[in-house]
Amino acid sequence: MIRHHGRIACSSFDLSLVRLSVTILMFKINRKSCTGCRICEMICSFAHEGEIAPKRSRIRIESDWPGMEGIDVCVACRAKKCIAVCPHGALSWGRLLLLDQEKCDLCLACVEACPFGGIRLEPTNKRLLFCDTCRGEYQCVKWCPANAIVRAEGNGR
Amino acid sequence: MGDKWAGYMGRILDVDLTEGTIRLEDLDSEMASAYVGGKGFAARMLYDQLAKGCDPLSPGNLLIFSTGPLTGTLAPGSGRSVVATKSPATGYWLDANCGGFFGPELKMAGFDGVVIRGKARVPVILKIDDKEAEILETPDLWGLDPFTVEKKIRGQLGKEYRLASIGIAGEKGVLFASIISEARAFGRGGAGAVMGSKNLKAVAVRGRQPITVFESKRFMRTCQEAFNEIAIHPDGGGGRQKYGTNFILSCMNQSGIHPVRNFQKGLFEGASQVNEDNITAYYVRHRACYGCPIGCSKISEVKGGKYKGSFTEGPEYENVWSFGAQCENSDLGAIITAEYLCDFYGLDAISAGNVIGFAMECVERSLLKESDVGFPLRFGDDEGIIKALHRIGKQEGIGKLLGTGVKRMAKLLGAEGAAMHVKGLEMPAYDPRGSSGIALAYATSDRGACHLRSWPIGDELLSTENRIDPFSTEFKAEYVKNQQELFAVIDSSVLCLFTFFALSFRHIVRFLHATTGIEPFASSMEVLKCGERVNNLVRLFNLREGLSRAEDTLPPRFLKEPLKEGPARGRVVELAPMLDEYYFVRGWDEDGVPKQEKLEELGLIDE
Repeated sequence: MIRHHGRIACSSFDLSLVRLSVTILMFKINRKSCTGCRICEMICSFAHEGEIAPKRSRIRIESDWPGMEGIDVCVACRAKKCIAVCPHGALSWGRLLLLDQEKCDLCLACVEACPFGGIRLEPTNKRLLFCDTCRGEYQCVKWCPANAIVRAEGNGR
Repeated sequence: MGDKWAGYMGRILDVDLTEGTIRLEDLDSEMASAYVGGKGFAARMLYDQLAKGCDPLSPGNLLIFSTGPLTGTLAPGSGRSVVATKSPATGYWLDANCGGFFGPELKMAGFDGVVIRGKARVPVILKIDDKEAEILETPDLWGLDPFTVEKKIRGQLGKEYRLASIGIAGEKGVLFASIISEARAFGRGGAGAVMGSKNLKAVAVRGRQPITVFESKRFMRTCQEAFNEIAIHPDGGGGRQKYGTNFILSCMNQSGIHPVRNFQKGLFEGASQVNEDNITAYYVRHRACYGCPIGCSKISEVKGGKYKGSFTEGPEYENVWSFGAQCENSDLGAIITAEYLCDFYGLDAISAGNVIGFAMECVERSLLKESDVGFPLRFGDDEGIIKALHRIGKQEGIGKLLGTGVKRMAKLLGAEGAAMHVKGLEMPAYDPRGSSGIALAYATSDRGACHLRSWPIGDELLSTENRIDPFSTEFKAEYVKNQQELFAVIDSSVLCLFTFFALSFRHIVRFLHATTGIEPFASSMEVLKCGERVNNLVRLFNLREGLSRAEDTLPPRFLKEPLKEGPARGRVVELAPMLDEYYFVRGWDEDGVPKQEKLEELGLIDE
């Protein structure tokens, strides 16, 4: 929708440049462009829960003022540690992460294993939250005003 | 909660710091439909609960944080919240609003408003966590700056907490101290001093409550429309994104209303060094408040020179003026450092720059001796600005005098002719001699000289489509009155003015109705009437505190000394005819008191 035109230089007080541009199959995340507005969190919770509850969003922005924002979401990484560590075999992969509710006993091994913060526990209803691509609608991508999260090309594994 | 309170959380928190008691009150549904929220709620509560003639810095004063039905929703620019109190600087109504993340978090904690009264015995913080509140004694935080306080409290309580805290200036009662929330501020009018007088160092909030919307589909459609309007708007989708609020600086200077040397001149020679083209070199990255597609906030850093290494979130147009042209300083490094110091000490950057510029003029005219100041304080001296800010923040030496604001300083020094303030609040960055509309807006604004109650500059000097004559006084009364109503609705609902510039009033009305489902909000006229009701109630509050027509005026410099250069050369403000007309269109008598018919029309009759 909107693109920022400004020249964005590297800041000397931000040391956390580790995950600057993670190219994966679901999203391409560009931390440098993120303004931290949390529109993605709102639209995510609105699309899934029908109410505005950023704390129940599947994508989360972690801010550490004045440093850069961190974008925590399932990026469909190649390693898929979550599936590997699950002791009950509840998680599987089929173009996106799939959870067998009956096998899951909320041991949270996957939450701890994910290096991207892509899976989290929703505290009130006791269930796992992770990106389901809004059934292919990718609402966060559509609404992000800064183009910090875009769909990666070649999606479809 | 249910659908009855779609858009609202339905609860108001009442905290008495003297007694240490916390009460929860239900939101009155009549108040919701008559006053919308935010500024409106605060006006109603302050009018009903504050005793007449209360000393602003006494325990009797109230400090009210409030959110509106659109706060925290997907409506663009929904990150704002309001703080209202009786101002220690003016002695009248004060409401200040602040972006960032504090307001939405407060709403998600389950409250439409927090009323704080009394005074704690020892320094405390107010912790609000998911419908529950607690007063924590934290004497170790007293004397710290807001950044450290934020870091410490987040370390202790959890990373999700959002804070509004005061700096040392607020603790020591500087009359223009602000409340800081992550380098954004409830800036003007001295709300920080009120918070300090209550021994309240910070309010920390965290919430997980969802915000429900009455009509999801209509709400989402309006959101999509609004986002697209902003994206294609030359202001919201263009200049403001790239340059921040500074994008008007060159235009203001060329229009001759970028005041220089404490409003003695209207054209700034150093403008080419501080204008939007140069300031972008200092920007490190863009930042947005909660729910904002514009992202006008910038993180700036000084990369070389005397002030290497200092950074701030900003600088905003007003501060580039107040530490720049106002003090005739064109060193951007000093401006960025000054803005950081204002956040560090918890000062209002507009008033602080005004005070320093005023002191510089007093030194120039030998009304203030440099030996009393203790360091060189001359126009153009960037080090003087930084030293003065440290003195004000720490309340040392000359800082004690400067910390009382322009109005009180002028009385003491006998420099009333050079004191640029209305009702005790210092001037923002537009010279009213070049714009009749803003002159009337300053004179009639409820909290003193303020550019956010009505901003005719937009149509007088910036617009190409709807441009109106900036020098004419014709129809300015109607214009300012209508815009004040409109802005009162925005401050009550609470949205950001910057996103509103790209939208139309129709969008706001649709947002309000789709979010809350309250029947009167379906009609634009009714919503506008809510704005008028808020403005009239605030007027009644001010009249009760002793306001008279004599104070709805401008500093003598604007009325007597013609501007020497620029497009507005030779002009002074013709205020009296505009003021008469303004009172007339408002339905007030010649002394500015709302007539009985007006009060009946607005349902304010039993006041």
